[in-house]
Amino acid sequence: MDSGLHLVAGLDWGALPQNLILAIGLGAVYALIALGYTMVYGVLKLINFAHSEVFMLGAYTALFTSYWLGFSPEALQQASRESNWLNLLMMLLASMVFCAVVGVIIEFFAYRPMRDQPRIASLITAIGVSLLIQYGGALVLPVSPPPSINEAVNPYRGSIPVQLIAQNPALAAEAAKAKEAFDVADAAFQEQMKAERSEFDLSPRGLELRTAKQVAERNYRTVRKKAEDSGRELSIPKGQMIMFGTTVMLMAVLTWLVLKTRTGRAMRAASHDFDTASLMGISVNRIVTITFIIGSALAGAGAMMQATFIGTPLTTFYAVSLGVKAFVAAVLGGIGNIPGAVLGGMLMALAETLVVWMGKSEWKDAIAFVILIVVLLFRPGGLLGSAKVEKV
Amino acid sequence: MNWPIRIGSIVLAIVVCFGIQYLATTMLKSDGQRLVALAGLYVTLAVSLNMINGITGQFSIGHAAFYCVGAYIAGFVSLRFFQAQPLQPVLWLVVMMVLGAAAACVAGFVVGLPSLRLRGDYLAIVTLGFGEIIRIVIQNTKELGGAYALDKIPAIREIWLVWLLAIVTIAVSRNLLKTARGLAFLAVREDEVASSAMGVNVTQIKVTAFVLGSAFAGAAGALLAHYETSILPTTFSMDVSFIILTMVVLGGSGSITGSALAAVSLFYLPEYLRSQPPVSGASLAAAVIVIVAVVAVLRRIQHHYHGTVAKKVGLYIGSIVGGVVAKLILGALFGLIPAFAKASYTGDKLRMVIFAGTLIIVMLLRPQGIFAHHEFSWTLIRRLYDKVRGKGAQGAPA
Amino acid sequence: MSKPVVLDLKDATIRFGGLIAVNKVNFNIHEGDLFGLIGPNGAGKTTCFNLITGVYTPTEGDIFFKGNRINGLAPNKIAARGICRTFQNIRLFGSLSVLENVVVGGFLRHRTGLLSALAYLPPAIHETAALRVQAMELLEVLDLADVADVRSRDLPYGKQRRLEIARAMATGPELLLLDEPAAGMNPNEKEDLAETVRLIRDNFGKTILLIEHDMKFVMNLCEKIVVLDHGEEIAQGPPAEIRNNPKVIEAYLGEAV
Repeated sequence: MDSGLHLVAGLDWGALPQNLILAIGLGAVYALIALGYTMVYGVLKLINFAHSEVFMLGAYTALFTSYWLGFSPEALQQASRESNWLNLLMMLLASMVFCAVVGVIIEFFAYRPMRDQPRIASLITAIGVSLLIQYGGALVLPVSPPPSINEAVNPYRGSIPVQLIAQNPALAAEAAKAKEAFDVADAAFQEQMKAERSEFDLSPRGLELRTAKQVAERNYRTVRKKAEDSGRELSIPKGQMIMFGTTVMLMAVLTWLVLKTRTGRAMRAASHDFDTASLMGISVNRIVTITFIIGSALAGAGAMMQATFIGTPLTTFYAVSLGVKAFVAAVLGGIGNIPGAVLGGMLMALAETLVVWMGKSEWKDAIAFVILIVVLLFRPGGLLGSAKVEKV
Repeated sequence: MNWPIRIGSIVLAIVVCFGIQYLATTMLKSDGQRLVALAGLYVTLAVSLNMINGITGQFSIGHAAFYCVGAYIAGFVSLRFFQAQPLQPVLWLVVMMVLGAAAACVAGFVVGLPSLRLRGDYLAIVTLGFGEIIRIVIQNTKELGGAYALDKIPAIREIWLVWLLAIVTIAVSRNLLKTARGLAFLAVREDEVASSAMGVNVTQIKVTAFVLGSAFAGAAGALLAHYETSILPTTFSMDVSFIILTMVVLGGSGSITGSALAAVSLFYLPEYLRSQPPVSGASLAAAVIVIVAVVAVLRRIQHHYHGTVAKKVGLYIGSIVGGVVAKLILGALFGLIPAFAKASYTGDKLRMVIFAGTLIIVMLLRPQGIFAHHEFSWTLIRRLYDKVRGKGAQGAPA
Repeated sequence: MSKPVVLDLKDATIRFGGLIAVNKVNFNIHEGDLFGLIGPNGAGKTTCFNLITGVYTPTEGDIFFKGNRINGLAPNKIAARGICRTFQNIRLFGSLSVLENVVVGGFLRHRTGLLSALAYLPPAIHETAALRVQAMELLEVLDLADVADVRSRDLPYGKQRRLEIARAMATGPELLLLDEPAAGMNPNEKEDLAETVRLIRDNFGKTILLIEHDMKFVMNLCEKIVVLDHGEEIAQGPPAEIRNNPKVIEAYLGEAV
């Protein structure tokens, strides 16, 4: 039996910082979806189950835009292409706009007629819309084999290494020397290969050179590993940074919008008390529409970035679990609360990454709910929300 | 207490159950029989969720979890001990139902506890979460088959028992509504603060509702395990919970009749569609457009027409007939477009789309559910008839 | 006063954060009293009710019912001890019928178990029937018998208020708390209500504490009155005394007394 201490000691602490960085990108996606849930809930008190489907359509929009920009599998087979940031921007905007349109349509046709009805009826409608888009989408969208956005469209691949602890200089020098030796041996072998008939039928000279190369390579690997273990390096994927940066930027715009503009004030009023807001001359229909536009556009942005930078094979069902987790994140942060959604999303991603880091990835999907239940039992209104006390 | 009537109805219920079994086994192949059994299980599930959601007003959307617990416990125990025990298979199945129900009760109790602190959507998401956690725990338990099936469960297929369980669930719900004690459950749904001021132990009522509702779901799970002989964690996914919830709301939250009928119809709808011939793209496109238009027209009549009931019904029928005609014409026109004519969609692919569409349309046209809060009774039929005939104008809306 | 004390508030206080909603309120009610609790808006009257019925727990001070401390008990436990209330913002069980509302009030007298109800066994059936008969009798008293089968949500306002009283009566309380029972009623209805309240006290032997804004109604009906202002008790005594109390007049300044 593993003792608790053993469990802790057995963890790869060195890999923790790297995992935390990965959590940031995932957290950004959760936060962007969670914002949509939380905003709609704030105004309409409706769990918009179709939100994850809006997200899914955003990912498909990004996919088709990338095809249109010349990054379809067929086009890439003929010639490889270089991409630039403009392509990414176009995909982002296309996703955001398309999602906003879809969100508004859903609200107009499915939710608006239900506004005066019992909330459970709107909830069932939302489930209906969600299923309709999933299964209806499967009729017309490419799902098998699941397409995914080609990474060629992303000009910012790879990662930036950041040195945390410098390598032992002696070991590093040794590694450099070993590399040199390996390069020399390799070059010699490659030179010899030109004279050889086939890789599988080497002359004695070729065999000898190959053995020398293999020995040098093995040596280099060992020394390099030793040198690397003496220091600690983080590699920050560029995509994650872009995702995080974009999310922060969108968040800032949203915060400004909600806190500083007239529309934002109306939105907060409607969220506080829908009926009174409409009596105060606020056009609640307009506010609801704007809420859906913003929430859906954010989902579109999240979808585009997730599909491009993290890269997922797309099906019309792929966003369901993502959506549920984002919703859980929104509830965790305090549903209806904008900073809460961001906090919830980040925590959710962090928890998931930590579970994977601990080598318990099979529990990844359960951790979200465990945290949620524990938090709600102690803070029934979520982390940043306040539970409404009923006036007697 | 009228004993002759009571004994008579018990006998009738048993006769009906064996009747269903007899008809199913003589007229249907094993596939069809299975559907009859599953439909019965869904009736149990919907009516038992109605106890929690409709009657007591606790927003639970994780009902599949209790179904799951019952199925896995019964399946696991049966797998180990069925061979070594002396009971008749039917008796053993009954024992397993009790066991499944007991296990689900425990789960129901645990899930019910948060209902004391949480309300509405927060409770909903917690029940959903419990369901997912239970599923993931099973997925990671090797003894229960893990992510693979728990299979080779002894097959004990008794359709009559499935339907007997459904009838018992319905009877218990109905008894609850008929007695003073049951009214306390409704009172909690209506107003918790007022209920407790009247001396109602709200805590006890809520937890009781969860325990009771999950017990029936657990028993249904035990039956499922022995009917299918092989169960997977994904058999009890979130979708199943949503479908059960949909049955309750579509039937009319709180209405036992509604839950039961919606369960049967919503269960059979996709199964029926599965076997339908493929539809051309032209026909599909025409249908979608016409349905949207007809729903819009029906809603206008519903909300803005103030004539007599008979005239209103006439208008409804008129717009539906008009819709059918329009669909035929439009379908023929679209057929001229080659891309539309060529595309074809099988019933299997369309069934969930139609299912989802049905949910939305029913909710748009009748948000309170088909039966609203009513129960089936001959007086209800009588009142409806009178209303359409323009007599009892003051009759309660049905 | 020779009659025993039923309800006794000793320095009852409740704070919400920095706000002191009820501050050191003292009064006691004797068996058979018809007691009035008045004060301007926001004086803490309903909060006082909430303290007595267990919706809130006093931050300081104690509440005794027939000599037993009841603060901190759950509302349903307090109801079981024999205190029941009506609500200012009517809280009926909207989709239940008038009769069913009153039957729920009889919950405390349930003696049969849940299993008996679920199986529809004779004890449950008989008990339900008996509770319905008792409920019907109460409806007769409150003049609601003719609407027994109407959904309570569909009742006119005045009748909803009466139904609140009927439902509270059904719990069989010794002390009945009425929160603005006459609010929104016309003068005729108010007169009828006053008559009914007196009848409940005299014929059913209940002790009654009521909150009311209509001074005429209170002054005519109640035998003793407590006045609250800003959570504090400013006067206590029979109506004639209260009417001429300068502090009370000051608190109500601008309002017709």
